[in-house]
Amino acid sequence: MTTGAQVAPPAQVAHKKFSADEFHKMIEGGMFIEDDRVELLDGRIVDMTPPGSGHAGCVKGLNRTFAVRVGDRPILSVQDPLSLDPFSEPQPDFALLVPRSDIYRSNHPRAHEVLLVVEVADSSVRWDRETKIPLYARHGIQEAWLVNLVDQHIEVYREPSIKGYKSIRHAFVGDTVSPLAFPDIILKVEEILG
Amino acid sequence: MKQDKTAAGISEPIYHKFNVDEFYKMLEVGIFTEDDRVELIEGEILDMDPMTPRHASRDMMLNRVFQPLMGDRAVVSVHNPVRLSRISETLPDIALLAPPVDRYKEAHPTPDNIPLLIEVADASLAYDREVKLPLYARHAIPEVWLVNLVELRIEVFREPSPQGYRAIRYAFAGDAISPAAFPDIIVRVDEVLA
Repeated sequence: MTTGAQVAPPAQVAHKKFSADEFHKMIEGGMFIEDDRVELLDGRIVDMTPPGSGHAGCVKGLNRTFAVRVGDRPILSVQDPLSLDPFSEPQPDFALLVPRSDIYRSNHPRAHEVLLVVEVADSSVRWDRETKIPLYARHGIQEAWLVNLVDQHIEVYREPSIKGYKSIRHAFVGDTVSPLAFPDIILKVEEILG
Repeated sequence: MKQDKTAAGISEPIYHKFNVDEFYKMLEVGIFTEDDRVELIEGEILDMDPMTPRHASRDMMLNRVFQPLMGDRAVVSVHNPVRLSRISETLPDIALLAPPVDRYKEAHPTPDNIPLLIEVADASLAYDREVKLPLYARHAIPEVWLVNLVELRIEVFREPSPQGYRAIRYAFAGDAISPAAFPDIIVRVDEVLA
């Protein structure tokens, strides 16, 4: 619909930014029904796509593999929130956390307490790669893996900076991967891809 | 209102869409107050531009012009919510509502009660044109006036369709206009733009 001369830049739309406190108030107020999986990214509330069985199986596999191989050395986190800043509380698929005696009962883990973050992507590869991984980098999380079920490889991200991870390696079927935090743990890519 | 895929092909996340119940729940739990200028537009919670004195004085002027003209024939509502759908509720500057006032004690006005809606646009001009007008047209608000403080004219939109308003007229200082629903009511553009 035009009304004469077009002004060049499109309209600015200012989405209300929600803080983690406000996000929690909404959750406590019963706003998101149980099946509504949502996370808070830079002040925006984002729906998480319901996982297919391939995705879910991969996450369970990661949990089992790490539980067996690293034992008590980290705390394993499956789809639980990280508290990155006042406006961001993502829920990565899987994470290895610095051990803490209260097992993070008093607050969600902060970026410096995360040894490895893993996102498993089937339909959401681009979104994970372009929004979530850089978010983790900006907060200095030392290593992130993107398990790309679509292209059947694992993307290993290291050297976080404000502009994103500086180092990216692709590991294919036949290769192995090791977390920076536990270099003795050598995992086969096909084991993780399932 | 939909996100575009950007030129770089970044896929957009699924931002959670809110409905009016959730919107009011947020009010209830104190995430915003009634004084916050936020609107719910197609499930998205958007901040409105801060109200400048110039804009506020236009609203006062419009109220002064319409109240005596309309008498009992319409309720003049200033900055109050208008409920377009389950996922859209805006705060237009002025809305003429079908009487009586009591009708709106339990529920906000809906498109079938609103013969004329007026938005005053200064800094928000692009936003009013690109976001709010199409929204009003899609919800069949019969007539909208856009008081354009940038180009100093009143833009009159009629004949709503899902694609937008079909009929547009511009009125300038020296002209007089009438709402289609009240053709005998004469409003001098000078009075509104002065």
